[in-house]
Amino acid sequence: MFLEFVEGPLWYIALTIFVVGVVLRLLDVFRSGVRTDLAPPRREGLGGALRTLVTRSWTAPGFTRGAAFHLVAGYMFHLGLFVLLFFAAPHVLFIEERLLGFGWTPVPYWAFILAANFAFAGLILVWLRRVMHPVMRRISTLDDHLAVILTFIAMFTGCMALFQHHDSLRAIHMLTVEVLMIYFPFSRLMHAFTFAISRSYTGAAMARKGINA
Amino acid sequence: MARMKFLCDAERCIECNGCVTACKNENEVPWGINRRRVVSINDGSPGERSLSVACMHCSDAPCSAVCPVDCFYTTDDGVVLHDKDICIGCGYCFYACPFGAPQFPEGGAYGSRGKMDKCTFCAGGPLPDNSAEEFREYGSNRLAQGKLPLCAEMCATKALLAGDGNVVSDIFRQRSVGRASPGIAWAWGVAYGKPGIRSGRDMSGKASSEE
Amino acid sequence: MNKNAKKRTVMRRVLVLILSLVIILPLIPYAVALVDGPGAVPNPGAQLWNEVRQRDGASAGVSQVQAVDGSVFINPYGERWRQFRMQQLVPIGGWLLVGVTAFIALFRLIRGKVPLEGGRSGKLVPRFSVNQRVVHWFAGTIFVIEAVTGLVLLYGRFVLIPLLGPEGFSATAAASKEIHNLFGPIFPLAVVLMILLFLRGNSPNMVDVKWFAKAGGLLKGMPASSGYYNGGQKSWFWMVVVFGIAISGSGLVLNFPVFGQGREIMEWAHVVHGVVAILFITASLGHIYIGTIGMEGAIEAMTQGYVDANWAKEHHDLWFAEMEKAGMVGVAPNALEEVKRHDDIDFKGFGSPGAKQKEG
Repeated sequence: MFLEFVEGPLWYIALTIFVVGVVLRLLDVFRSGVRTDLAPPRREGLGGALRTLVTRSWTAPGFTRGAAFHLVAGYMFHLGLFVLLFFAAPHVLFIEERLLGFGWTPVPYWAFILAANFAFAGLILVWLRRVMHPVMRRISTLDDHLAVILTFIAMFTGCMALFQHHDSLRAIHMLTVEVLMIYFPFSRLMHAFTFAISRSYTGAAMARKGINA
Repeated sequence: MARMKFLCDAERCIECNGCVTACKNENEVPWGINRRRVVSINDGSPGERSLSVACMHCSDAPCSAVCPVDCFYTTDDGVVLHDKDICIGCGYCFYACPFGAPQFPEGGAYGSRGKMDKCTFCAGGPLPDNSAEEFREYGSNRLAQGKLPLCAEMCATKALLAGDGNVVSDIFRQRSVGRASPGIAWAWGVAYGKPGIRSGRDMSGKASSEE
Repeated sequence: MNKNAKKRTVMRRVLVLILSLVIILPLIPYAVALVDGPGAVPNPGAQLWNEVRQRDGASAGVSQVQAVDGSVFINPYGERWRQFRMQQLVPIGGWLLVGVTAFIALFRLIRGKVPLEGGRSGKLVPRFSVNQRVVHWFAGTIFVIEAVTGLVLLYGRFVLIPLLGPEGFSATAAASKEIHNLFGPIFPLAVVLMILLFLRGNSPNMVDVKWFAKAGGLLKGMPASSGYYNGGQKSWFWMVVVFGIAISGSGLVLNFPVFGQGREIMEWAHVVHGVVAILFITASLGHIYIGTIGMEGAIEAMTQGYVDANWAKEHHDLWFAEMEKAGMVGVAPNALEEVKRHDDIDFKGFGSPGAKQKEG
């Protein structure tokens, strides 16, 4: 009963809110447009946009030591989450059956678990840093904490359901993931999509001014 | 009530692995799972002997004692079975079992264990007798059909015996009496290869001497 | 008469001889066999059953079935492991956990919450850096997750099955097992980070002996002197190191059954893992109690990074004296100051007043 609701109607409700919400928010960003720049551009913006997409994946020169913690723990979490989200066998199967109609080769089980190890360690570390660091704590809002906690719970329940023999555990994982999906478009979790827009915007704007940002 | 037992007669077992094959075929167990296996000592040398080993359905089963989720039970026939809907695949039964009976398909983190599988004495599991689900999870339920385990039924030399412990032990006792007791005078030491009596010809074991 | 008597005597003797031979001759093989001893020609059947009963320990035969320990007739150590788990680990461990919890409750009843005798001074002393606190709570989070799931697997059969039923507990135990196995490999990382960040100041010295002699100042009106770490904290640190390494090593052996390790290795790894886990959890109960609700003003050290000056004076007087000398007492938890202390960022670029002062 609970399982049927969670895997049936609630899944479609959550999916709709997620997709519509994300599309609306992205449209909102694009609709706000770019301020007209009357000065003649020194360079084409596209190259700068692509450049910044890559260069912003690392710290600015001179800041690497100070940001080493964020670099290591942050990438542990994000790369781990990316692998376990899109390349874990159960997830690929779910995407194939319920979303796209086609799947791809998943990573072997041990790689999936290793990715989960990294993701969990990274997430706990970056969140503790957020709470413990005096500046991080002061610039964090409820949204930041809520996003971390919901993500952690979704990952944790997924870990609980790893044995794949108990429907109740899978239902709990589905439920927490659906809560996360509903919350997603209303939160900073949107950075999963908007990071590319902001980076390339900055890069393009700076390239027109002749600066390598 | 009958108490079901396996007994393997080492003087008869010829290591043909027929019991292993029969078991795998009857219960359709997955790759890598062997509910029964034949182990030989002195393989290829004089004195080679083989035994067919599987779950021996202990009276005081160690697997049952150490199971963290208490999924084992003993039937009225003395057969030790387990409930796969309860099993969590931790592997503790495999540590405790003297016979290495519990088997695990790969199915967890780092290739760790899925739900345990072992010899059921062809008695299925807790699901309805001879239902499709029972067969899928536990294999054949021959006991409910009034038949004995296929491994013993198929044994070409009747080395592997299965059935009521009293009947099985009677059969083995009669065989042993006919074979004479292993010990001193009329048994092995005198009949074969006693250096003083049999002029140094080594005939010990079923294989011929290497000399 | 004489002849007849003689004849009869001879016949009688021959008869006795024949009878004797009839009785004795069949016994000769027995006698020979007895003199030779039973082991002269080993009976393969007897040898087989000796191997089956593992009279000389586990020995391997040959099997067509290729599996870990597939060619071992009997694992004689399984029963030993069963006795350890069921007769020693479960009951003794259980009583240890219950006993220590009861002891802490008793301590609470008698001593109450250890108060700040001088009240709060309002002045703060910096104690733990951001990195130290992050690593502490990282290790603590993993530890609690592992401890709870581990105890569910060890005691759930006796405690949780009556509450949840077999199916309910099966789901709980399956989830616990997966969480335990997945978070387990993270713990070694936490232990290494703990060692790196907390090793300094944790070497034992004579002050700690005196500290222990005074029962750690836990009794009323019997303060014990201590530096940055007291004897109890130092012993807990070294417990974390030793137990942490032992539990990580044995856990990794148990967690990866794919490298062909046999049952005996797994059983020993389990013994180490179980014993160390019980000791680790028991010790952690005291640490958690005194660090949170047991002592006024203690938790702030790990949450805020600062402690009240009076707390430092009462519990770590030698360290407090050092800090006073260095002018570190009364440092306000100002964000920029904190960041300066904890991060390696060069603040000259930001033109912070602190940096300028240092230059001047």
